[in-house]
Amino acid sequence: MATEHENWLAQGEIYALGALDGEELREFQAHLASGCAICDAHIRQTRDSLTLLHQSLSVMTPPVAVKTRVFDQITPKIQTPVQAQSGGWSAWRWWLVGAGALAAAAVVLALAWSLTGTRDQLAKLQAQIAALQNESAQKDQLIQFLSTPEVRSVELAGLGPTPEAKGKLFWNPTTRRGLLITFGLPKTATDKAYELWGIAGNEPVPAGVFIVDERGQARFQLPQLADGRNFDKFAVTLEPAGGVAKPSGPMVLLGSL
Amino acid sequence: MIAESASVIYLIQQVARQDREAFGQLYDRCSSLVFTLAMRMLKIRSDAEDLLQEVFVQVWRQAGNYSEERGSPEAWIMNIARSRAIDKIRSIRRMEKSFALTDDPARAESSSTVESSAAQSEVRITMNSALANLPESQRKVLELAYFDGLTQTEIAERLAEPLGTVKTRMRSGIQRLREILGTRGA
Repeated sequence: MATEHENWLAQGEIYALGALDGEELREFQAHLASGCAICDAHIRQTRDSLTLLHQSLSVMTPPVAVKTRVFDQITPKIQTPVQAQSGGWSAWRWWLVGAGALAAAAVVLALAWSLTGTRDQLAKLQAQIAALQNESAQKDQLIQFLSTPEVRSVELAGLGPTPEAKGKLFWNPTTRRGLLITFGLPKTATDKAYELWGIAGNEPVPAGVFIVDERGQARFQLPQLADGRNFDKFAVTLEPAGGVAKPSGPMVLLGSL
Repeated sequence: MIAESASVIYLIQQVARQDREAFGQLYDRCSSLVFTLAMRMLKIRSDAEDLLQEVFVQVWRQAGNYSEERGSPEAWIMNIARSRAIDKIRSIRRMEKSFALTDDPARAESSSTVESSAAQSEVRITMNSALANLPESQRKVLELAYFDGLTQTEIAERLAEPLGTVKTRMRSGIQRLREILGTRGA
């Protein structure tokens, strides 16, 4: 009986390995669908043998946090007020930044009074207040962006010529805004720049051009993207300085949502 | 209270009854194996962690589908992990192909480096393991299929070898693994 099956069994082994393709795959799947118990058993035995392959690897321990995430996901959700949950952290930061700005403003006002100042001095101090308020507002915006529940974080890993590079993208798919932070990317020549791409299926969509500093770092705020497709990956390529509509240079960072 | 020595089969049966304690023990027993495989196949830590999470959520939801007739529980779990990892690898490969819009040599170099980045993986093959003891030609085709998700045709193209040769090497490698497993089981 088994000899009649010699060809099927041979294909079954390659099928169990996941390497059967093309017409052979379709034929074998049809054979399996016909209910061949011999091949079915042979595939199971082959898969058991193949476990020796991953047992050949030096074992790595996953982070404890993954177990927590798994249990979180299998636990039925109880509705909690979102406002209360996200409010604690962002409110704390808000008050910290606000207190800093207020303290700075108070110092400036005290100085202004004590100097019975000239207009020039007052104007200078007012400019400082404006700068502080502007900085504070920017930080507020950043904190507000990062603490929005919709914001998702994507880790980008270095590829090809820059395997040691890393990146982190914070992406809000609702507002189509994001913030990219990179580390370890080589500084580009003056006629080159890095271009970020959002990828929907296999379609890359340009998401802005940026350069890195001497340390290979960049903090790049994405322009609001008009393209409404759902991105499942993000990538960075090296392109001409002005950016291009379609990727043409080597991919240096890649990450999945 | 579940005994520490409870078999993995027993744990899966308990998980099918939505027993969270058993699920925790099953995770502790098998998560390192799944994570190691995921790291070897995907090479990116965050992707490997995501895969580990997806696999165990699937195990929680589908434990009732497992039966001993389907092979060992470890093989069942690892097959879930491999299938998901291969889907991700092939999706990335399709996406990379769609990026290859020019004949830029730098790009070609980059792609080939990415595809052959097994050597850059954090996961290493342990000495004296079954895989390390296979002849190089058999080990290579099994690694490309099992860990890198390549099909027989893709392997033949990659190695510039006839398809028939690749198939023979795969089957010889699998046969050798079966002999090793038989020796261990004896």
